[in-house]
Amino acid sequence: MDELIIKTTNLTKSYGPHVALDNLNLAVKKGATGLLGPNGAGKSTFLKTILGLIQATEGEGTVLGHDIRTEGDAIRARIGYMPEYDALNPDMDAIHQVRYSGELLGMNPTIALARAHESLQYVGIGEQRYRNIGSFSTGMKQATKLACALIHDPELIIADEPSNGLDAKAREFMIQTLTTTVQSGNRSVLMASHLMDDVERVCDNIVLLHKGKLAAQGAIEDLKAIDREIEIHVWGGATRLEQALHADGLTVRREGRVMRIAHTGEDTSTRILRCAAETGAQVRRMHEYEASLEDLFLVIMENLGYDVKSSEDLLASPALARKVDAPAHMGGGGA
Amino acid sequence: MTEEPPLRQDAPPVQFDAAAPVTGQGRMDAAWGSTAGDEDLSTPVANTPAASGEIFSQEYKPWNGELNPRWMRNWAILRHHLLGIFKKGHRPWGMPTRLFILVVFIASLSNAGLTLISGLIGESTLHQLWGVSRDNLYGHVLGFFPRNVLYYPIIAALLVGSVISEDRQHGTSALYFSRPITRFDYVGMKFISVAVIQSIIVLLSLTLYYFAEIIALGRGWAWIMDTFPLFLAAFLSGVMLVFTYTSIGLALSSVSKGKFFPGIGLLSIVLGTKVLAVLVSTLFDREILYLLSPYDCMAHVGQTLIGTQPTYDQYSWTWSLASVIAMNAIALYTLSARVSSMEVTRE
Repeated sequence: MDELIIKTTNLTKSYGPHVALDNLNLAVKKGATGLLGPNGAGKSTFLKTILGLIQATEGEGTVLGHDIRTEGDAIRARIGYMPEYDALNPDMDAIHQVRYSGELLGMNPTIALARAHESLQYVGIGEQRYRNIGSFSTGMKQATKLACALIHDPELIIADEPSNGLDAKAREFMIQTLTTTVQSGNRSVLMASHLMDDVERVCDNIVLLHKGKLAAQGAIEDLKAIDREIEIHVWGGATRLEQALHADGLTVRREGRVMRIAHTGEDTSTRILRCAAETGAQVRRMHEYEASLEDLFLVIMENLGYDVKSSEDLLASPALARKVDAPAHMGGGGA
Repeated sequence: MTEEPPLRQDAPPVQFDAAAPVTGQGRMDAAWGSTAGDEDLSTPVANTPAASGEIFSQEYKPWNGELNPRWMRNWAILRHHLLGIFKKGHRPWGMPTRLFILVVFIASLSNAGLTLISGLIGESTLHQLWGVSRDNLYGHVLGFFPRNVLYYPIIAALLVGSVISEDRQHGTSALYFSRPITRFDYVGMKFISVAVIQSIIVLLSLTLYYFAEIIALGRGWAWIMDTFPLFLAAFLSGVMLVFTYTSIGLALSSVSKGKFFPGIGLLSIVLGTKVLAVLVSTLFDREILYLLSPYDCMAHVGQTLIGTQPTYDQYSWTWSLASVIAMNAIALYTLSARVSSMEVTRE
């Protein structure tokens, strides 16, 4: 599973004075990888560069072993791209739209039609495949776009916001389908999404871009180690305990009787219990807090100088993203 | 089948005689069978597995086929657009467009039909009016009314209206450019598709008209040798007409997200400039503005090629040719610039 599907070395893309990708050194392994980053982080530029649609200003890279500078056609023949926005003709029925997407790859029309049936069945469209796409729900349109991407059984599926705008049921199905594609189909997925839960459920690894630079990459489980905390539930004397913990040099986040203390070493638990004993506070429950990807994202963003309450602030709303973009001490207008 | 649980050995026997104390136990036992087996807190259930009722099974099916090369991808684009005129499952041309193509194709064959009739009934007046001649060949391709007012520009407007703009509108450009299709192939195949449909109407009907004369009137080699250069000149004029309408139309389609603007835009350019040139020519006796009219310039070149009387004779036909080339160059430049800017990640 350590085979690299995407590798870039000092990849740089500039639009005049604006540097969209800045010396990006990426190594994406086979499997499912989440591509995260605030608006303007360079996700779209990165996708276009690895698809071979725009030329990198400097550096090099490979996708599935093909050079992104010279073998764009070969790359696009071996990947399946699921765009974020509508990319379907509403006047066509799903089966023929998916078949045409296969023909555009060079598939024989008869084979493309057979594969279109299989792909649409796989993504759960079933007998609805004979309906006009214009009458489809958002979930069905997303599923049809995924079928278009899967028709030639690509080795890498690039899914741009696959669960965007879906209701709970459709979102669950989309996540399940992507997971099945990775686990049963043994295919790789590069998933750009602002929904941290979805990324965490599908992906084992993440790549986090920030202002065209690589902010973090690696296995989610490994990255979570930077945000290890011990959670305690305190009964009586919570404020005294909090003060004692602060006095002991520990970092504490408190919400009522629940406190999360940053894991600083093997003796953290002992120090907490000692403080509790000294202050007379009852620690009713104590366990290592399992950080979510959302927590991880916020910690990384905090390290980069952002002050945001949730990933939604940075990822979902361009207007809010602009407001929080470029904090003051990083040379911008301030968060 | 499950076995009946054994009776509890230490349970007192149930009495039903009149002297027995009323405890309710007997009635409960009668109602529920016995107390036997209560202590093991389990109940026998049918062990037949229930049917799952599953009608959807998600199974990833791999595909090991090989993808065909570039020509097959380009053929797919061409086929998609051309077959869409005739059958479902390809590009969904609107019903008005399909009907209008049929009507115009039939109407374009009117001179071929009348030539056939004149040959069949031997009516020379009818043949003088409709038979193959220098003026009639010119008229078939570049005649202003009705062909370049009601037929060809409207067909071109209906065809180009959405052929690129719909990809911007629906985001289907991502479907093309996320696949191994170059922008040149994309725009080239779209151009050829539209041009082929127009050629069927303009050039195929012209060819049928010419052959109708040969067949209906039994023309020999001498007649063919005399008229074939005229036919070729008309054919070349037709190619120029189709090419120019397509390039201007697609350029307009590429700058738009709807089908209305490119269609109306093409008609305005073709007919509006023509009307303006006529007005200026009539009022001020100055013909220079015809150089802004694609139709007038093509007509001038066509008149020279076929050898009919030129409408505008104040200027050389080479000015018209230069103007046609310049118009096409501007249109193709706009088209290529706009298609180059079409996005994959968002539109």
